[in-house]
Amino acid sequence: MIIDGVAYLGNWPFRKLRYNTAAAMAERMDRCGIDRAVVSSLSAVLYKDVMNGNFELAESVAGSERFIPLAVINPAYPHWREDFLFCLEKLGMKGLEIFPGYHGYDLTLPALRELLELAAEKGVPVRVPGRLVDIRGRHWLDTPENLGAAEIEQIVRLSPRTDFLICSCNTAAAAKRLAAPAESRPGQLFYDFSRLERFSFSPAFQSLLETAGTDRVFFGTCAPFQYPEVQQVKLFYSGLRAEELGAITAGNLSSLFSGDGAARR
Amino acid sequence: MDAFAEKMRIFRDHKVVNWHEHVWFNDKNELDEGLLDGLVRDAEETGTDMLVCSLPILAQTVTPEEFRHCNDTLAQALRKYPNKLRGFAFVNPGYRREMEHEIRRCIEDLGMIGVKLYYQYRIDDPVMRDLIELCIRLDVPILMHASKLNYHPEEQPFVSNGPHFAAAAREYPEAVLVMAHISGGGDWEWSLKAIADYPNIYTDMSGSVCDDGLMEKTVRMLGAQRVLFGTDGSYSACLGKIIGADLTEEEKITILNNPNFERYLSRGKEESK
Repeated sequence: MIIDGVAYLGNWPFRKLRYNTAAAMAERMDRCGIDRAVVSSLSAVLYKDVMNGNFELAESVAGSERFIPLAVINPAYPHWREDFLFCLEKLGMKGLEIFPGYHGYDLTLPALRELLELAAEKGVPVRVPGRLVDIRGRHWLDTPENLGAAEIEQIVRLSPRTDFLICSCNTAAAAKRLAAPAESRPGQLFYDFSRLERFSFSPAFQSLLETAGTDRVFFGTCAPFQYPEVQQVKLFYSGLRAEELGAITAGNLSSLFSGDGAARR
Repeated sequence: MDAFAEKMRIFRDHKVVNWHEHVWFNDKNELDEGLLDGLVRDAEETGTDMLVCSLPILAQTVTPEEFRHCNDTLAQALRKYPNKLRGFAFVNPGYRREMEHEIRRCIEDLGMIGVKLYYQYRIDDPVMRDLIELCIRLDVPILMHASKLNYHPEEQPFVSNGPHFAAAAREYPEAVLVMAHISGGGDWEWSLKAIADYPNIYTDMSGSVCDDGLMEKTVRMLGAQRVLFGTDGSYSACLGKIIGADLTEEEKITILNNPNFERYLSRGKEESK
């Protein structure tokens, strides 16, 4: 089985996307041999009220076993706590994704810590992307910066009990930076490799495996923004054993989304 | 992985020429043989038959001594792997006499097959005229670093992008211009629209940007015959884009070994004997 840990559904105003509906993405997943995808609402990234995006996502994946939905929550907006709980309890969402850059709040916002701690209490992971789009070609109205390693570390340190999925950034550097805190915190840290190169010029993929271990790395394609096959190439040339590949492509995420996160604490 | 292995066969079953790669200096300003050997290993592992490399300096000012040293160092790499590498000479066109002498030296004496430019000047700057005219006379392509940066353009103040290439192509329709890394150069939609109507402008697909739809739009706007396979340090991304793109097999094969550029490869081999 293959689970795509980084995928999105919904509207994106800055570039036409081809596989941003559940049906189209499922078809694309079939072409790539991907069984399930962890998805959040792209629309919620730019809607003022994220719940409009979360409702759209819930409706589009209702009844489908292929998608694991995450709630997008903006802790700087009113009613965020109730919205998050509603997403988990009524909309069947299995985790959280945050976009501090797009939602315009500082990482010192007290509500952010509260949100992350609530996620830990509920036993659900939090996905933190460094970016959605390469900054070099980003639309001129898009957010001007990425979430860097320092910011990601700051987020991780806000809530030691929270499980994080860190993605769409230099995760090799992030894993090195977080190696020490990772050992002492009860929450787990997982990393994708979508922005890492596997070949000689920049063997960051190998560096990530050595730093984090194959039980902390997950497969994520950044669909529908990117070609999924790019990440499959890295695994194809990885030289990893079957059990290691199995952990990266499905096992690590299956455990994480098995629903016993709260029990682990 | 078995199903994926079948998709990857295209690189083994057909000739693959990588038109955009590099060799580099180590910290002693000598050829970094580790990186070079690694690049050749990557090529062999992935079914790449030929690597076309340059050694540019990524700075606004580059002296003749520096660019001569770049090309001498590249020549060392070409001698180490004569059946795997071809070279593009790097120059700073601001030094007109030295530039001309160096290009002739690299093409006629060292067997290089084209010219690589970076962002010292834009491609449509008047200073480029002598260089472009020389390359037309020598019948060699010009591969130039390109990017349309919507953010932090101050980092590369004289970088060229689509409209600059279009201006140069209008002035020199006989020149063969390659706008480097459509997949690593910022706003690719901007640049594609600018160069679409100029048949003497090509692009290579190198770069780490893996935007879904990029390959399809590039081929739709330029035609596969104006697209070159390249990686520029992003091998995984570029192999994946070929595999994942919704293109015909014929279009992919055309990109992997562009027929319009094949004649340059054999040229280099003859002159280096």
